[in-house]
Amino acid sequence: MAKNRLHSYLSHLVEIRHGEEIISLLLFFYFFLITAPFNIIKNIRDAEFLKKLNPQYLPYAYATAILVAIIVAFHSKIQVKIRRYRLISFSLFFFILTSLIFWLFLPKEVVGSRKWLLITYWMWANMFIVVLVTQFWILVNDVFNPREVKRLIGFFGSGGILGGIFGGLITVILAKRNVSSNNLLLVAAGFLLVCAFVVNFIFFLQRKGKILRGEETQEYISKRKEPQRFGFKDCFDTVRKDYYLKLLAAVVIVTGIVSIFIDWQSKSIVYEVNPFGGNLKVFFGLLNTGLLVFAFLLQLFMTSKIIQRYGIRFALLLYPAILLLLSLGIAVWPILAFAVAIKASDKSLSFSINQSARELLYIPVSPVIKYKAKIFIDMFLNRFADSLGALVLVIVFIFKLKIQFQIVSLVSVLFILGWVILNLKASREYTNTVKQKLEMKWERVDRAVAEKMDIDYTKLVFDTLESKNRSSILYAMHLFDLIKKDKLTPELRKLIAYKSDEMKASSLGALFESQDTTLFPETEDVIDDKALEKDVKEIMSLDVYQELMKGYFDKTITDKGKEAVTARMELAKAIGLMESHSPLVEKLEELLQDESPEVSKYAIESAANLRRKEYVPALVSKLQNPLTREDAVSALEKFGQKIVGTLSDYMGDTEENIELRKAVTSILGYIGSQDAADFLCWELAEDRGDMDSELIDALDKICSEKPLVQFPGDVIKSKIIKEIKKHYQILIQFDELGSESQDEPRRKALTGNLTISLMNIFKLLGIVYPREDIAKAYQNIRTGTKNSVAYAVELLDNILHKEMRDILLPVLEDISLAERVQRCQSLLKSSPIFKESA
Amino acid sequence: MKISTREKEDVLIFDIEGEIRRSDISDVTLHQLVKDQLDSGKRNILLNFQNVEFIDSFGVGEILASYISTHNLGGKLKIAKISKKLYLVFQVTMLTKVFEIFDDEELALDSFFKG
Repeated sequence: MAKNRLHSYLSHLVEIRHGEEIISLLLFFYFFLITAPFNIIKNIRDAEFLKKLNPQYLPYAYATAILVAIIVAFHSKIQVKIRRYRLISFSLFFFILTSLIFWLFLPKEVVGSRKWLLITYWMWANMFIVVLVTQFWILVNDVFNPREVKRLIGFFGSGGILGGIFGGLITVILAKRNVSSNNLLLVAAGFLLVCAFVVNFIFFLQRKGKILRGEETQEYISKRKEPQRFGFKDCFDTVRKDYYLKLLAAVVIVTGIVSIFIDWQSKSIVYEVNPFGGNLKVFFGLLNTGLLVFAFLLQLFMTSKIIQRYGIRFALLLYPAILLLLSLGIAVWPILAFAVAIKASDKSLSFSINQSARELLYIPVSPVIKYKAKIFIDMFLNRFADSLGALVLVIVFIFKLKIQFQIVSLVSVLFILGWVILNLKASREYTNTVKQKLEMKWERVDRAVAEKMDIDYTKLVFDTLESKNRSSILYAMHLFDLIKKDKLTPELRKLIAYKSDEMKASSLGALFESQDTTLFPETEDVIDDKALEKDVKEIMSLDVYQELMKGYFDKTITDKGKEAVTARMELAKAIGLMESHSPLVEKLEELLQDESPEVSKYAIESAANLRRKEYVPALVSKLQNPLTREDAVSALEKFGQKIVGTLSDYMGDTEENIELRKAVTSILGYIGSQDAADFLCWELAEDRGDMDSELIDALDKICSEKPLVQFPGDVIKSKIIKEIKKHYQILIQFDELGSESQDEPRRKALTGNLTISLMNIFKLLGIVYPREDIAKAYQNIRTGTKNSVAYAVELLDNILHKEMRDILLPVLEDISLAERVQRCQSLLKSSPIFKESA
Repeated sequence: MKISTREKEDVLIFDIEGEIRRSDISDVTLHQLVKDQLDSGKRNILLNFQNVEFIDSFGVGEILASYISTHNLGGKLKIAKISKKLYLVFQVTMLTKVFEIFDDEELALDSFFKG
């Protein structure tokens, strides 16, 4: 009951699912309780620094980041021996303790060598945020899968921002009451103490198994029972060996450098202007609070929407683009308003959209690699980047130029441009990494079968074996086919080793009997003779042959007795070996109409060998009969491009038998020429709906096998929209049927229709989007685990166009049927794409 | 190709030796020789291929032409002792449906006078 109420409250703020409420709320507070004390610590740090030193010392303070990096590296060495729970708890208590130490020793006045204490404090503050925030995100990534994080990241981030605002306000209120910096540190320590309790509770729930989500996480947790030992070098090597992680590392370095530049620019202007009568703690408190309020609103109402609507790439580019404009502004006009604007933009966008987008970039990385990479990148490289930024600043200062603001701004602009390029590369690689998380589970059935077995060959072997006991002539003809195709392997010879019963019956029986009982070992040299094929062809082309056999053919064809079936089968087969212009070939049309399906089968095969256009109507008519359909399909397929036009006429003729039209559609798919694809798309655009699945399957086949064939994108996209609409409607019907309904046949029919419709949607998507990616996504959605479904949806989210994404993802997301139906109904009413297609 | 003839019980036997191929066309072909014998009134002909090493489609054409000529004059032309390869060719081309083929000369000779 209480849980339902909590769900109801939270669902107003975030798209939360049942079961996620408590852990989400705990993580929200966890982040809150890290950022609140940090903002107090940071406000003290900035105000005290500018008050007691000056901006010229800032690069030295920034440079301490390298020491932070070293300490962090040391920390990563220590942490290998400690479990996650202990590591986080230890870190929190370390910072509580050190807060108390600074409370005792932070100097009221800076005299001589005590400057170092302020710089140490600066360094400690940096260490505080990097260690605790990294640990927080590692825990988030452990608990949730990518789709879940994508939904909840805004909520967690809001917790962090809200904490920052709260910390900033406390600083302002207490600073106005002249509470000293040292005493403010006690407040920060108090927040950390509460945080330690929250973290304890999270791990308590985790131990109870109440918050584990996703198989991958389960696996990770189970592996973690034995502490994982990753040293700093291991973490470094993990990043060094992976292109994607190297890109992320490069982004972090450039972001860090730019951030240092911006910090120096804004602080220098503040130092010059000295606002609030010199009470800089109040100024920084208000500034940081204000920018965090902005960041909070941005995070709560915009971040998820921006990422979901415009994608990760846009989210990654927004931040540097705004900083680029403001840096150019400062270069021209270095005033307090610009200083505040650039600092506010930097921090608000960094905490909200950029932080969320950057965390998303880690999602497709496997937990262990991600953990190692985050240790190196977030804990070490971040700091290293700050030091690098400081070093660049020092270099700029060496020249003692009068236009320092302008120079720093222009150098900053250059780094931002590099940052944009890196972000573009990272977002492209992100999609590739998501793809790698999904495996292709199967190929098109016909393609897989064709790859694994030679269907024609298998059929021929079966026919050969079957003919063995029926007719020595048919048997010989089949052997001849095998020889022609160079398929009479030693293994096959063994298989069909022939104790020449038939031969014995013939007048030549004694010839073979007198030698060996098997045909093949003795005749190996004979039947391997490549000249055999030539001889047979030439003999059958001889006028004397045609003249001699005419009488036999006429007599046999007219003999319709059952006992003559074998003889007619032999004729039908023999015609297929002749040249297409041979006079006896004329007899084939009669054999194609033979009442015996066996004769007909051989006649169809011969028609396929001869490929005379006049056989096409007879062959097409065979498509109506299930007994001859398969043979007719493979025969017509062999005619290829030259009958595409004729076939398309049959396909489009609604008065023709529907089974015939469906078979013709499939043949066009097998032929797979550009013309075939055009006619299929043409028929698809007619939108008759009577053979959509066949048309889509034929197009899918062409797409999978003929990469050079082009498809009209507008026709396919329009059909996708219609198929999605159809899927919605089936879904609504399914929901209307209700779970209590006894109408099992209808339920089964609707389930089947849903499956077919989804398959059609994905086949069509595979034509206009990268086929392999779409196939991977479909297969993982159909048969994957919860996590692989999430990755599949994530992949689609990244590769589909927005209008397609908006209408397709609701039917794929892991949500209840009721919720899905509700979304479908709403989209059917409101989505302009459906209105346009209607 | 070398062809010699002998007669046994009213059957003219052609003993063929060597290779029958298009490239070895001599002045007298098998068909011509058969026609000559038909002209001289012979009607029962047995082609003995025991010593034929090779026969190509031209050679088969000669056999077919000889068969037609004999048949047209109401005679009988039969074949004996062909190789396995040629037998396979005759099967694939369905010539076994028309020709009577024997692997034993005596059986072949007997067949001329049965039925």
